[in-house]
Amino acid sequence: MAHAHAVKRYSGLMDWLTTVDHKKIGILYLIAGGFFFLIGGLEAILIRIQLWQPLNDFISETTYNELLTMHGTTMIFLAAMPILFALMNAIVPLQIGARDVAFPFLNALGFWTFFFGGLLLNISWFVGSVPDAGWTSYLPLASPTYSDGHGVDFYVIGLQIAGIGTLIGGINFLVTIINMRAPGMSFMRMPMFTWAIFITSALILFAFPALTVGLAALMFDRLFAANFFEVGNGGNAVLWEHIFWIFGHPEVYILILPAFGVISEVISTFSRKRLFGYSSMVFATVLIGFLGFMVWAHHMFTTGLGPVANALFSIATMLIAVPTGIKIFNWLFTMWGGSIRFTAANLFGIGFIPTFVMGGVTGVMLAAAPADYQYHDSYFVVAHFHYVIVGGLVLGIFAGLHYWWPKMFGRMLNEGLGKLTFWTFYIGFHLTFFVQHFLGLLGMPRRIYTYQDNLGFNNMNLISTIGAILMGVGTIIFLVNIVVTAMRPKDAPNDPWEDGRTLEWTISSPAPEYNFAQTPLVRGYDAYWKEKMDGNSGMTPAEPIGPIHMPSPSILPLFMSIGLFIAGFGFMFSNYIIGAVGLLVTFGCMFLRSIIDDHGFHIEPEELEDKGVKA
Amino acid sequence: MSAHSHIDGQLPHEPEKATLEGRNKVLGFWLFLGGETVLFGTLFAAFLALRDQVGEGNPTANELFQLPIVAIATFILLTSSLTSVFAIQALHRNHVKPMIVWLIVTVALGAGFLGLEIYEFYHYVHEGHGFTTSAFSSSFYTLVGFHGAHVAFGVAWISILIAQTLRKGLNLVTAPKLYVAGLYWHFIDVVWVFIFTVVYLMGKVG
Amino acid sequence: MAGNHPTTENRQKRHKVEGSQKHVISYIFSLVLTLIAFATVMAGEVNTTFTYILLLVMAGLQVYIQMAFWMHMKDRGHLYAIIGILSGVFVVFTMVIMAEYWTWW
Repeated sequence: MAHAHAVKRYSGLMDWLTTVDHKKIGILYLIAGGFFFLIGGLEAILIRIQLWQPLNDFISETTYNELLTMHGTTMIFLAAMPILFALMNAIVPLQIGARDVAFPFLNALGFWTFFFGGLLLNISWFVGSVPDAGWTSYLPLASPTYSDGHGVDFYVIGLQIAGIGTLIGGINFLVTIINMRAPGMSFMRMPMFTWAIFITSALILFAFPALTVGLAALMFDRLFAANFFEVGNGGNAVLWEHIFWIFGHPEVYILILPAFGVISEVISTFSRKRLFGYSSMVFATVLIGFLGFMVWAHHMFTTGLGPVANALFSIATMLIAVPTGIKIFNWLFTMWGGSIRFTAANLFGIGFIPTFVMGGVTGVMLAAAPADYQYHDSYFVVAHFHYVIVGGLVLGIFAGLHYWWPKMFGRMLNEGLGKLTFWTFYIGFHLTFFVQHFLGLLGMPRRIYTYQDNLGFNNMNLISTIGAILMGVGTIIFLVNIVVTAMRPKDAPNDPWEDGRTLEWTISSPAPEYNFAQTPLVRGYDAYWKEKMDGNSGMTPAEPIGPIHMPSPSILPLFMSIGLFIAGFGFMFSNYIIGAVGLLVTFGCMFLRSIIDDHGFHIEPEELEDKGVKA
Repeated sequence: MSAHSHIDGQLPHEPEKATLEGRNKVLGFWLFLGGETVLFGTLFAAFLALRDQVGEGNPTANELFQLPIVAIATFILLTSSLTSVFAIQALHRNHVKPMIVWLIVTVALGAGFLGLEIYEFYHYVHEGHGFTTSAFSSSFYTLVGFHGAHVAFGVAWISILIAQTLRKGLNLVTAPKLYVAGLYWHFIDVVWVFIFTVVYLMGKVG
Repeated sequence: MAGNHPTTENRQKRHKVEGSQKHVISYIFSLVLTLIAFATVMAGEVNTTFTYILLLVMAGLQVYIQMAFWMHMKDRGHLYAIIGILSGVFVVFTMVIMAEYWTWW
């Protein structure tokens, strides 16, 4: 196989539109997810400005509902998950010593469907009918009777398209991790981040199809007058709550488990210690994933399921505190006796622990069904889930981005600016949400666009708004850091933190497109650290240098997603010709993909040497 | 090292698993079927929750369903599942022609099943059981229709694969595709087993 | 990887002995199970609960036959396939309980 097929290699914009390289797709996820994160953040700040004083009229109640819905939907589906996908794309194949993911083409398709789904959702702002039934879109509020106009249609169709991408990504990473680990990397030698992504992908696989059906049913109700949730014709609104949360509760573990993985890597590296209780950490991750499917109805305690169901779900929910507690203590014991370095990444990592514990404690409080009748739909709940999502997930993402930035882009982020990001964001976060616990206990309901004077809400809402602005400042500092860093030369060494423990630190920063010139031989957990401790300068290769097979780039994923995007609009506005054209584009691309064999191309050993790889 | 050395030569035993790409495809497809299980499970759950919500004056499941048609459809789909097994067996023996023939039979039976289903739906609509009639009817058509759409997709997919195999022959690229399509076809039949049990037979009893 | 050719040829010979009777037997079994299910319902006059249980057992057996033999799940190398399908079934099980007990009251 000395001479492979000649393959067109694109450059510039076409390179990015056709790429199937997991590292570039990771960067695309980061850019798109980051963009939606800024939109969602802007929506949050507008919400907080409206609420800074009683009876404010900064925005109307309609706009408030729209902002609230879009803030939640955007942050969960279009910001948090894609940025996690960015990290997993950029890092997981490197951590397991693989040259690529299992399905590079599908990986690109996953990104583009997410992107066009998110775009469709946000185009609602320009069309002028924005989803306004909350991110959970409860019925009957979201039914055609109470939400006429196309607002909820955008929600249903946009999330449906984006959800396809997520499901594809989940399967892709499961297969990658099962089939493509380097020789010697058994399951119990996998880095914790890879383990977390493995379980996360499994949760995606089994949770997202439920959302697909829920959204399809709601779409049929809205577009084709079906009766799933139309109480007048025998439908059942509680059924939507069930389906949504059967998906929705695993979804929050899909969000937090990768953050657990990031924190495990960051804390272990910057404590210069092996992760304490690795196998119990793995066990806890699997257990959280499993229990995640059995607790959905704790979102519905006040629906009236009855004492038996409430008691069952209450106990199951409290059980989750056990594996989570195992994790918290393992992180603390990892730091114990370590030589800790307080880099920006590690500040986010350490800051995560107490914040997440607070979110966990309020979680157990909410799990007590009788008490939940008091907390339900109050700002106490808002405080709780922001402590676990922002205080957990977003801090985890920041830690991961600071930690892996050199591996993704070849440049170290500025440490000073990074620490400034941490302190402004962290203080801003606690200012915003700590007081909301008490607002909730005082009786302030969530999802209201304003409140009366003299209820004792004024000062705490003002503090909350100031905190939100401080979080915005922290985010802007991070953006400045990115720009400042981008203007410096690419000079990050292979192992910029000098304490790297896992395989991604054995190769250049950023990684070459084939990742590993020779697949490494893994001799233990923390593969690179083991070699360091044995006095070796790098990994032992598991194979001789030879030609490396690469998949060819393709424009088809982009067009498949554009087809779905067009079809979404067609069906939404009952223009079935346009809808059919869109589907035709998508299926046509699938047809082309099936009949055209992708032979890929080979990178020859001589080319590797040209690129400065040591033989 | 390379997958291409096998092409045009002797195919190995289980050619679908001879390359990493093939093994990835088969494993990925199994996991996809795990997800499909949840997808159909959710549709079943919705149907179970809404099956008694017929509404005043509309035909009930018991009045509506005609078991002979369902029995014929079941027989057709079960037989097509058997013929797809034969096709995969021929694939494993590297007998291209019998494989193509069995696949054509499978596709024909799948198309026959679809024809029956369309006739059945047409009949129900005439009986006053439209998509928008009641919660029962909406969930019925969505569940059975999702399955029918899967059959239709399978018919189109396997047809394309037949054409591909005729042109390119059986090799390490086409073998995993055919194997995976076989898995898909069996899965469709498995779902149908639950549909005729839970929707039709239990509907007749209840 | 091409290194293990001799053994694959051996296995191929062994494989050819295995005929299609096994699948025809599975097919006949499935037909009989289907027949029992349809016949019980068409006969009527049987206790409803008993019929429900019988129908589910027939369906379960048939699905087992098809997945184990026709989809080769009983063969080696199907660990992840089994885990994948069973996890899906577990989630579906919770949803069926939800649909039966927690949607109407």
